[in-house]
Amino acid sequence: MSIDWITVAAQIVNFLVLVWLLKRFLYRPILDGIDRREVEITQRMQEAAHVREQAQAMEQAYRDKVQALDVAQADLTETIRRKAEEQRDALLADARRKLEKEHETWRTHLDDEARKYKARLHRAGAASLLALTGKALDDLADETLEERMARHLAQKLGPMAQDLRRAAAKVSEAVVTSQGPLSQAGRQAVQSELQDVFPDISVRFETDEEQSPGLVLRMGGAEVAWTVETYLEGLASMIDAELVSGRDAPGAER
Amino acid sequence: MTFSPDDRILFELWGIPLNATIFYTWVVMALLTIAASLITRNLRPDVPPNRWRTTLEVIVLAIQAQIEEVAGRRENHLLYFAGTIFLFVAVSNLLLVIPGFEPPTASLSTTTALALSVLVAVPIFGITSRGLGGYLRTYLEPSFVMLPFKIISEMSRAISLAIRLYGNIMSGAVIAAILLSVAPFFFPVVMDVLGLLTGLIQAYIFAILAAVYISSATADGAEPI
Repeated sequence: MSIDWITVAAQIVNFLVLVWLLKRFLYRPILDGIDRREVEITQRMQEAAHVREQAQAMEQAYRDKVQALDVAQADLTETIRRKAEEQRDALLADARRKLEKEHETWRTHLDDEARKYKARLHRAGAASLLALTGKALDDLADETLEERMARHLAQKLGPMAQDLRRAAAKVSEAVVTSQGPLSQAGRQAVQSELQDVFPDISVRFETDEEQSPGLVLRMGGAEVAWTVETYLEGLASMIDAELVSGRDAPGAER
Repeated sequence: MTFSPDDRILFELWGIPLNATIFYTWVVMALLTIAASLITRNLRPDVPPNRWRTTLEVIVLAIQAQIEEVAGRRENHLLYFAGTIFLFVAVSNLLLVIPGFEPPTASLSTTTALALSVLVAVPIFGITSRGLGGYLRTYLEPSFVMLPFKIISEMSRAISLAIRLYGNIMSGAVIAAILLSVAPFFFPVVMDVLGLLTGLIQAYIFAILAAVYISSATADGAEPI
């Protein structure tokens, strides 16, 4: 057990050299590496936090956009629905109007057809009545229907004299219209009766093929008709009145 | 029988005789430097550390943590000094298991050199930290009467450091040698394993004591032991 002071000095030098070597090749690289890695990790964590914040902000922005789109879509849907309802109502109203118009046209057409049918029925009835009456008069009394109707009109002028005078006060001519040419006897009967009632008036006889069989007397604004058509109209009115009264009568069948 | 490697001259370099202590010290120095240099080259923060670098980081960080625990603060210069003591002593002692290797720490000259280094480092660190006046005042606290005792304490620290390490390592090596001659197959192995443990403990004790002595001399260091 001895101390070699030269060795001691050499070992001190060796130790100091080793301190420097380890500082140069071990401690500094290791500690600096750790520090750099800590800085790197810190930076990466900060970057990750920053990226996460950006991602969260972007996510929030997208959520807001989606929400806005949902609201806009709901508004658009509501607008479209409202417009569709308005259009539907308009189409329905238009269809209803068209339907009513067609219904009205149909009713008009139906009324027109009914009127025409009624007119044809009238004419057929009148023709039948005229043919039957004329044949009956001709067979039984050797007289035409128009002559008989002329005499009947002449007889009706008496009771209506006052009314006719008031209606045709300043009239100088009376016009008697028939479907065909009136016989001489018929003309004389009408003319003599008119002369009795209105001595100052002249009588003119005319024909009108469109007119119903019978006679029509026109004096200014006054008109007295005794035709098959008026007869049938009166007959139809009577029948309608009878039908109405029968329908309204107690115990009538419903 | 030669107990000290100082007495064994291996060869001469430029006419200077080199004993085993210096030679094996150079071996340990070369081993530490080359290993550190190889492991720590091409360090980049973006490259994950390999297992060797991780091992070195664990060792360095463990030494740093121990010193920080003793000194109460992170002191890199203290790390360089005490850490080097630990690594040098530990590697020297661990290489004991290699046949033919004579640990330099088994030389009283080496342990004396290390103790003297600590003895000189304490005032250097103290003056650097407290200033010359501040450091010298610590010898007079709490009273100037304590001055001789403080000086004796400093000297005894160095001597105890040197003798403790030398005694442990040298005795281990000597006992292993004796047992090798008595029972060459079993006991030397057991003693070598025990020597590894003892060597590591001694390295730890030497480095920690050095750190305590130096930190106690600095401004807000620990109380001297």
